[in-house]
This record gives sequence, structure tokens and C-alpha cells, in this order.
Amino acid sequence: MARMKFLCDAERCIECNACVTACKNENEVPWGVNRRRVVTLKDGEPGEKSISVACMHCTDAPCAAVCPVDCFYTTDDGIVLHDKDLCIGCGYCFYACPFGAPQFPEEKAFGMRGKMDKCTFCAGGPDPDNSEAEFKKYGANRIAEGKLPACAEMCATKALLAGDGDMIADIYRQRVIRRSGRPQTWGWQKAYGESI
Amino acid sequence: MRQWHAGLGIVAAALVLVGCYESTEVTVYDPGVYKGEEDPLMAKQRKEAQQERLRQRFRQVQTDR
Repeated sequence: MARMKFLCDAERCIECNACVTACKNENEVPWGVNRRRVVTLKDGEPGEKSISVACMHCTDAPCAAVCPVDCFYTTDDGIVLHDKDLCIGCGYCFYACPFGAPQFPEEKAFGMRGKMDKCTFCAGGPDPDNSEAEFKKYGANRIAEGKLPACAEMCATKALLAGDGDMIADIYRQRVIRRSGRPQTWGWQKAYGESI
Repeated sequence: MRQWHAGLGIVAAALVLVGCYESTEVTVYDPGVYKGEEDPLMAKQRKEAQQERLRQRFRQVQTDR
């Protein structure tokens, strides 16, 4: 069984925000909610890097661990999804997520937040696949159609990869070998030192 | 005639009240147990044909340039 993952290659990301646009367009994400966004480090300085961030579909998802109503479930291939009919919009998942993936649309007066919204890996939710109800609540279900997330498919430089973790790892390994043979994972040098 | 009207009124009231019905079933939460609707995608993703479809798609659209 595949293990679905995202990987953003910081060496290739050119901060074009096409992934953000593709996501918003494909899923008709409401105003004020960004399921995916591009984060730039050292903006305008030497060594500038950008990475595209969304829900990372964690193996041991902290959002699911803290949810008081257990509205999260994980598919066999590791996509973390949630049921908006169970969600109470408490915001615990937002505080628990290290990537800031859960978003809350302002639905009512006085900035009252609605049900949590996050990247679904373009896999919709618990409603019937590709139904109107599913699209309205969760957006497109490309996975059921045999397609991969729109953000990754749209990425012009193929910085953003989405799919089986093993296949992504193979591509990334080949890239690293082609470049210099050194690990270029973002944060590697900070974690292990400049010499490694 | 008056009885006939009363009967009609009762039927109309019953129909109106049916619209106000609200399910009294309560979901009791167990820690770590998802009690929402079953996602039809779960069963679909377990099929080897679907997994192969996604692998083919990956090779088609995610190949390196």
C-alpha cells in the first residue's frame, strides 16, 4: 500500500504561487482560507529559499490527537481527512498543527469561525465521491478520479511532488545525486552542521 | 361539515409538525474513535487497480524535467 506524501524541493521552488492558485481554483476555497501557501525564508537576501506548505498528512497527526470530537480519520494510504459534520470549530487542531494547516473561515458576524478547513490531498471528505455535497464542503475529489493533487500536478518546476512516498523519495534522491551528492533537505545544515 | 374541517386541520397540523422533527440521537464520543460517516474513498483506495492508476498518474505528471 502506498503512503501518500507531499514533498517540496526548496532548491526548485521559485515562489510563483501557482500551487496556491491551483488549490484555490480546484477546490473553490472560500475567501480568507488558504489551504496551501508559499513560505519564503531570507527574502531578498543571499540564500533565499521558498517552500510550499499545506497539511503534511502526518502519520501520527497531532490535529487528530487533540480533536475533542474525533472528526479526523486516515485512509489506508495515509491521507488525513476530517468530517465537517462532526467538527465543532473549536480550533484545537490549529494550535496543535506545526504547519498551521487547519484554517477557519469567518462565517458569521463578529468574526465567528466556522468549521475547520484544510488540505484534503484533493481527496474530498466522507460524503459520496464527487457529489455536490462533497464538493461544497471539501472541494474536489481528484484521488477518486485517479488523479493527484492539483497543486503538485500544476507545479511548473516540479518542486512540489505529491504521491507515494517511496516514488517521491526516489525522485528526490536522484536529484540530490545529480546536484552534488549532498543532502539538501531544508534545515539539514542547521540540524547537523555545515560540514555534514 | 365541522368534523370534516377539524379532521383536515389535524392532518395539516400533523404534516406541519413532521417538518419540525429533529433527531434526538446523540453521538457519544470515545477517545480516538471516529464516529462519522464512512468515506467511500476508503474502500476504493484499498483496491490494487486504484493504486496502480495513481502510480501511473504519478509517472505521467510528476516525472522529473
